[in-house]
Amino acid sequence: MSSARERILAATRANKPAETVLPAVPDFGGDASLARFTEVLASIGGTVERLLALEGLAGAVARLFPAARLVASPLFAGSLAIDQQTPVDVLADVDLAVLPVEFGVAENGAVWLPEANMLHRALPTVTQHLALVLDHRQLVATMHQGYARLAHGPGGYGLFVAGPSKTADIEQSLVIGAHGARSLVVLVY
Amino acid sequence: MKVALFVPCYVDQFYPQVGIATIQLLEKLGVKAAYPPAQTCCGQPLANSGCEREALPIYRHFVETFKDYDYTVVPSGSCVYHVQKHFDKLEQTPEVQRVRATTIDLIDFITQVLEIKELPGAYPHKVGLHLSCHGQRGLHQANESEMTPVRDGQLRRLLGGLDGIELTELDRNDECCGFGGTFCVSEAAISGRMGHDRVHDHLRNGTQVLTGGDMSCLMHLQGIVRRQQLPMRVLHAAEILNGVTP
Amino acid sequence: MSYLTHAGRAEAFVLDHERTSWHDETLWFVRQKRDKAVYAVPEFQELRELASQIKNHTLSRLDFYLEQFEAAAQANGVQVHWAADAAEHNDTVLRIIRQRGASRVVKSKSMLTEECHLNPHLIAHGIEVIDTDLGERIIQMRDEPPSHIVLPAIHLKKEDVGDTFHQHLGTEKGLTDPQQLAEAARQHLRAKFLAGEVALTGVNFAIAETGSVVVCTNEGNADLGVSLAPVHVASMGIEKLIPRLSDLGVFTRLLARSATGQPVTTYTAHYTKPVAGRELHIIIVDNGRTQQLGRPDFRASLKCIRCGACMNTCPVYRRSGGHSYDFTVPGPIGSILSPNIDLKKHSTLPFASTLCGSCTDVCPVKIDIHTQLYKWRQIVAEANHLPTAKKLGLKFMGRLLASPAAFKISGSLGRKALRLLPHGLTHHHAANAWAIARELPEPPKQSFREWYQQQASPTA
Repeated sequence: MSSARERILAATRANKPAETVLPAVPDFGGDASLARFTEVLASIGGTVERLLALEGLAGAVARLFPAARLVASPLFAGSLAIDQQTPVDVLADVDLAVLPVEFGVAENGAVWLPEANMLHRALPTVTQHLALVLDHRQLVATMHQGYARLAHGPGGYGLFVAGPSKTADIEQSLVIGAHGARSLVVLVY
Repeated sequence: MKVALFVPCYVDQFYPQVGIATIQLLEKLGVKAAYPPAQTCCGQPLANSGCEREALPIYRHFVETFKDYDYTVVPSGSCVYHVQKHFDKLEQTPEVQRVRATTIDLIDFITQVLEIKELPGAYPHKVGLHLSCHGQRGLHQANESEMTPVRDGQLRRLLGGLDGIELTELDRNDECCGFGGTFCVSEAAISGRMGHDRVHDHLRNGTQVLTGGDMSCLMHLQGIVRRQQLPMRVLHAAEILNGVTP
Repeated sequence: MSYLTHAGRAEAFVLDHERTSWHDETLWFVRQKRDKAVYAVPEFQELRELASQIKNHTLSRLDFYLEQFEAAAQANGVQVHWAADAAEHNDTVLRIIRQRGASRVVKSKSMLTEECHLNPHLIAHGIEVIDTDLGERIIQMRDEPPSHIVLPAIHLKKEDVGDTFHQHLGTEKGLTDPQQLAEAARQHLRAKFLAGEVALTGVNFAIAETGSVVVCTNEGNADLGVSLAPVHVASMGIEKLIPRLSDLGVFTRLLARSATGQPVTTYTAHYTKPVAGRELHIIIVDNGRTQQLGRPDFRASLKCIRCGACMNTCPVYRRSGGHSYDFTVPGPIGSILSPNIDLKKHSTLPFASTLCGSCTDVCPVKIDIHTQLYKWRQIVAEANHLPTAKKLGLKFMGRLLASPAAFKISGSLGRKALRLLPHGLTHHHAANAWAIARELPEPPKQSFREWYQQQASPTA
C-alpha cells in the first residue's frame, strides 16, 4: 500500500479543478500615522507612551512600572538575563519584558516582534506585562505593507502582537489578561 | 410592450387582492398586463426541498406559458429569483434564456423598466418594510447590512416618496423572517421564533402597517400577528402603491 | 420531533424562550461588531474577492503547493507527516508524544483535532490533554463539544461557568464575575503551561513558499504552550495552504474582522523553524478533503478560514444553538461540510436554513454557502434521505404544478376546505406545523384567477 503522502497527493491531482490565476495583491495605501496607530491600539486595550529619546527608556520603564520587580530587556542594563536556554521556572517569574519591535501597523495596532528581539520565544507571552519599543518612523498603514517589510521571510519565529492578551469566552464579556501579558504598552521614540 | 402577470400559487388562492392591486397598479402606470390562465407555479417549493428534478416539468411549463411576452411581472421577488437563478437546470434554449431574463419583480419593473422613481400620493401611516431575502440579497433590491450601514432600496424610496408616510427604523434592518418555504413547517419551531422576533422588532419600533414585496414572508408574519392579536396591518406593497393616484 | 434531526434538537433549544433570546442577542452583538469593523475598511469587498481568488488558485494547484510547502518546511528542520484520515492523524500524534516519553500535553484550539476526536484517543492511551483556550477548557471540564468554532462556550452563561469552576477549580460558589473567573482559569492553566511537554496547535494558514504555519489567537495560549514545551505538533488540513507570505496581508485583514470585529487577532504567530534541540512536527491531514475537492459544486467549501461569521449571522444558528447541528463545525458552513462526511447522518442539516443568503454575504472568502445548501438538498433527496411523507408530498406537488387543470381544481378545493372546516381542526398542531405559532391565512371566497376571468367576461 502506498503512503498517506502518495495517496493524498494522487487524490489531490485527480480531483483538483482547472487552474485559475493567482491575483496580484495591490497596496491599498492608507493612513500610517502615529495618531491612527495610537487610536486603534487604545481600542484593543493597549496604550502608547511617547519617549523623547531612546536614552530615556530605563527611566520611563521605572516610572510606568514602579511595581515591576523582575524586568527582562535587551535594551538596558541591570535587567534579568534571559536567553533561549533560560529554564521555565525563571521565565515564570518575569514581571515585565521590554522588547524592541521592528515596525507597527496603524490599521490594527499590531507590531512585528521577530524571534531575534525576544530573548526567549516564550518571553512575550509568559511575562506578566509587556512593553514594546517602537521607532516612530517605522509605521506602515496596513498588513499588506507590513508583510512587504518581511521580504526575507518571517524568521524562525515571529509575532504580530496587537494589544494585551484577552478573552471573551465567558458570555462575550471582554477580559484583558487571559494567558499572555496582562497589559501592553508601546513605547514610541 | 407585451406584459404578462405571473401570480404565485399561494397569492392566487389566499391573497387575490394582491394580484388585483398589481394588475390595477400596472394599468395606472400605463401597462396592460395579461394573465395567461395556463400558469401554475415557478417550482421553487419543490426545488428548495431537494426535488429539483421533479420541478423540471414545472419549469418547462413556466417557460412555455410566458415565452411570448416582453416581460413577465411578478409581485414576488422570491419567484423571480428562482426563475433567474435556478432555471439554469433547463437546456438553455433561446426561449429559456429569454424567460429567465425577462421575468421581473413588480418593484424592479416599476423602477427600472418604467423608470418611475416616485409615485405621488399620501399614506399617512407608520410603515414597516420587510424585504424578502431573495429580493434583497438575491435580486439586490436593497442595500445589505452585511456590506454597508446605508439603508436604501427601490421599494424604500418608492414608499418614502408618499406624503405623510413614516418608515419604521428597525433594530435589525434586514434579518430573515423565518418563512423559508417548506422550512416554515419542517423547522416550525425555529421558523415561528424567527417570525416572532421579526414582528416584535416592528412592534417595538412603531410599525402600524407591515409591508413588503413578497407575500410569502408576509403570510408567515401575518399569521403571527393574528395569532398574537397584535395591532398591525399586513399589506403587500402593491396594495399600498395602488392606493395612490399616479 | 426526533433528536436525530436538526429540527428536533432545535425545537428543544428554542423551548427556553429567554435563553434563546439571550443566545440570539449575544451572537447578534458579535455580528454587529463585525459590521462596524467591515464598514471601516473601504476595500473590504475587494479583499474578499482577492481572498476568494487566492484560495481558488491554491485549490487548483494544491498538489504543487503541498509539495512546495513540505520541501520548504523540511529545509527548515520541520518534521512533516501525512495522514489520510482521523485515525492516522491521531496515531501520528500519539507516536510523537510517546517518542519523547511525554505524558503532559497542552493544546490550543484546533477544529481539525476536534474533527478527528483526538482528545479521547490520547486520554484513552494515558496522556493528559489540557485544552488551553479558555472556552475550550470550560467545555472540556463539562465534557461537552464546542458549540461554535471561534466561541466554543458561547452556549453557556456566566452562572454555568461559575458552577463548573466551583466544581473543578474550587472557586467560590456563586462566582459569576467574568474577570474573576478568567483569572482563576489563568492561574490554573499557567501551571499546565509550565509543565507542558508537548504542545498541540491547529493551523490557520500554511505558507507554501516559506514552509511556515501561522496560528492566530487572542489569549496567547498557543504561543505560551508552544514556546515552553520542547515539542510542538501542528495539525493542518490540506486546505490551509496559501501560496505566499504576502497573501497573509489579505487574510489577516479579513479573519478577525469577520470573526469578532477586532482589527486583527492579538497574536499572529509565524512558526517556521524549531529552536535548536526542540522539535516542530506538522501533520498534513486529508480526512475527506480530497473527496470534497473532487465535487465541483462543493469544493469551494474548502476555502473556509474558520472565522465563524456565517454562524454569527445565521438567524437559524442564533436561535437553535451550535449543538443542534451535532457536527464539529456547526452553522451554515458545517451544514455544507458535514454531508461530505456522512450524508445520511447529516441529511437534515442542509435543510436547517431559510436560504436567506446572509452567510454567503459575510463570508470573507466568498463561499456560496446558501447555494451549496440548496445543492446538497438535491443530493440528499436523490439519495433517498428525505422523510417519506415529505418525499411523497413533493412528488405529488410536482405532478400537480405541471398541470394547469389539476392545479386549478386542487387550489379551489383546498381553499374551500379551509373555509368550511373548524379552526380547531385546521389549526391542529400535530397535523399542521404551520399552526403552532401562526394562524393560517383567511381564505377568500374567490381566487385571483376567478376574479380575473370574471373581469374578462362578467356574465360567465
